[in-house]
Amino acid sequence: MCEILFAGGNSCGGVKMYCYGGKILSVDLSTGEGVKKTLDEKLASRYLGGDGFGAYFMNKIVDAKTDAFSPDNAIIIAPGLLTGTPVPTAGKTAFFSKSALNNGWNESVMGGRFGFALKQAGYDVLIIKGKAEKLSYLVIKDNEVAIKSAEHLRGETTRKTAEEIEKDEGDVVVASIGIAGEKLVRFACVDCDERQAGRGGIGAVMGSKNLKAIAVYGSNDIEVAKPDKMYELMAKYYEMMINHPSFEDDGKYGTGEFLEWMNKERGTFPTRNWREGVFEERKEIDPYYWAPRYAVKNKACIQCVKPCGKAFVMKKFEGMVDGVEYETLYSLGSNCGVASIEHVAKGNELCDLYGIDTISTGGVIGFIMDLYENGLISKEEVGVDAKFGNGDAMLELIEKIAHREGIGDVLAEGVKKAAEKIGGEASKYAVHVRGMEPPAYDVRGIKGMALAFMTSPRGACHLRSGAYALELVGKFWKFEGVDRFSSDNKGKEIAEMENFMAVYDTLGVCKFSRGIFLLNFDEILDAAIGKALKEEELLVIGERICNLKHIFNIKAGWKKEDARLPEKIHQPIPEGVSKGSYVSEEEEKKMLSDYFAARGWDKNGVPTRKKLEELGIEEFMS
Amino acid sequence: MKHWNVVNRYKSGIRIEKKSVIEDIQHVCSHGNECNFECIDACKFDAMKKNNGIVYVDYENCVGCGACERACPLNAVWIHEKKAYKCDLCDGEPECVKYCSQEAIVVEV
Repeated sequence: MCEILFAGGNSCGGVKMYCYGGKILSVDLSTGEGVKKTLDEKLASRYLGGDGFGAYFMNKIVDAKTDAFSPDNAIIIAPGLLTGTPVPTAGKTAFFSKSALNNGWNESVMGGRFGFALKQAGYDVLIIKGKAEKLSYLVIKDNEVAIKSAEHLRGETTRKTAEEIEKDEGDVVVASIGIAGEKLVRFACVDCDERQAGRGGIGAVMGSKNLKAIAVYGSNDIEVAKPDKMYELMAKYYEMMINHPSFEDDGKYGTGEFLEWMNKERGTFPTRNWREGVFEERKEIDPYYWAPRYAVKNKACIQCVKPCGKAFVMKKFEGMVDGVEYETLYSLGSNCGVASIEHVAKGNELCDLYGIDTISTGGVIGFIMDLYENGLISKEEVGVDAKFGNGDAMLELIEKIAHREGIGDVLAEGVKKAAEKIGGEASKYAVHVRGMEPPAYDVRGIKGMALAFMTSPRGACHLRSGAYALELVGKFWKFEGVDRFSSDNKGKEIAEMENFMAVYDTLGVCKFSRGIFLLNFDEILDAAIGKALKEEELLVIGERICNLKHIFNIKAGWKKEDARLPEKIHQPIPEGVSKGSYVSEEEEKKMLSDYFAARGWDKNGVPTRKKLEELGIEEFMS
Repeated sequence: MKHWNVVNRYKSGIRIEKKSVIEDIQHVCSHGNECNFECIDACKFDAMKKNNGIVYVDYENCVGCGACERACPLNAVWIHEKKAYKCDLCDGEPECVKYCSQEAIVVEV
């Protein structure tokens, strides 16, 4: 099967817009048809790119009521506005779709070369709808777009799939799913260049569309408005980055550099399915231990000058992985009580190859270990001796989840649905917000982050607000004297941080650079698109985007009662620096009300007409 | 960027091929250190030239026939939109060396 959608010739024309590919490509896998449209200048100026385009098109073209696995759900992919320019660390690509975990809004932002290639091919947005008859891959080579059979790649790993497609298609950048995506594991991810769009099951949505991979070759120039100025700014920010204290830490230890600080100095490193906030056995999983012993070289995303990735080569096991990131050191490490770094690294590699999100995977394994230790599930039912700390059991459970075998078939539904299936007391042990397993921040001792877990449009998430850094250090950007143990004044803080972070996902700049750029992008945007957008202007765009994501959730059935913290967050942290801290139900309600007020929403969390008009998005909510 | 005022990975003078988690291969011209100037011999249009030990493309003459690409033993010349692209050491101050934060690129004379 080789269906040619387009062959040669650019019929799109349009106005010259710097930094953009200039076109929007929509592909319907059911009919095999494709449509190219010129990117509208007004749309570009209101939403800029990446996250902005996602927020707009999800609301415009996806029926919020549809099931995540329905052919009517769409996958929307958009490189950031600055992706493809020489701005250091601007290389991100955002993926959007209905969430396979909670059927609401989902987005996941990826490193790797995918967005760069897509933009060079001439596309600022790629929209995929429908469902292919057979397992297929989509190949985009500049103007040519085709759907081809991927039946020969069924069951293959993400890595092998990319290699095979490269052999057939030549110089392409491949985003692929593994067997977990094919089997609709609800937290299956998409992989490109060993980087993942990890969260919320975009890989499962690809699987539901019989889409094994997307391969892109792009050869067009990416032009900026003022090349000389852009070159000067690149040099300036390059110097700033390599002289920043984080440069050395990222280079030596990667994202897990602050693990021991989180563990000992803050006592907020979730351990054994959120029983504890300190992982006493942490020695081996601390990068200060493993990086000098196992990391053979640094790995960077495209456009990045401060590589946080590490090429980890295992010794006891066979294998290598780009990692192990901070979140995975928690999810497969402390959250499962596993202290052996080789087991954690092997688990990380298996997750990447089968294509499942490491955070959710560690979340469901920690959950089943907790049930097992508390006698709520038997060894026969689990199939392994699932005690906390049993690394071999953790690896076996990853296999079971990815292949949906035995208990793995239950866990592949995500912790919320798994707890409902198991029944009884199980839900008390299920740590999630709106169906998404949380990242590595014990929010019992970081109360602003507890609110951020509730308000994130995709469920428990650290990246929509990034407020963990502010809360744990006490200051960032315009905030000072923030007390992480207090639930006061958190509404405005989280709302503003969410607006701030939406700007990063829109520009495609890595969030690990947020301490360097803050929102001082005016010079850069002047050089890039010829418009020196100031912080205030960017924040309005960020706010517009955050509101649109929430509007999508409301249309999908979101109720304020869903934005609840899990049972465990109401229990005090038993030991360590944050001992005794927890979030009470009253605090939970108070913080949420504060947030709604700060957002200009009513008491039920619905945006007011006034707010919608202020942001110019009243058309999206009737 | 410096040469062409645009970003295009196919116009760059250096190419990175991703092989595996631990292996990235750099394709870049050795300017005669690891070859015998096969590209210059192969060019029938006098477009591949040498000056002060630096091999460069004379775009006045280049027709994009691809003979240099086929001849190069290091895969360090490539054709994009009917023109040859390769490293010309940026007039002695290579941009890639300046902006490699890992100090992984060096020029050996």
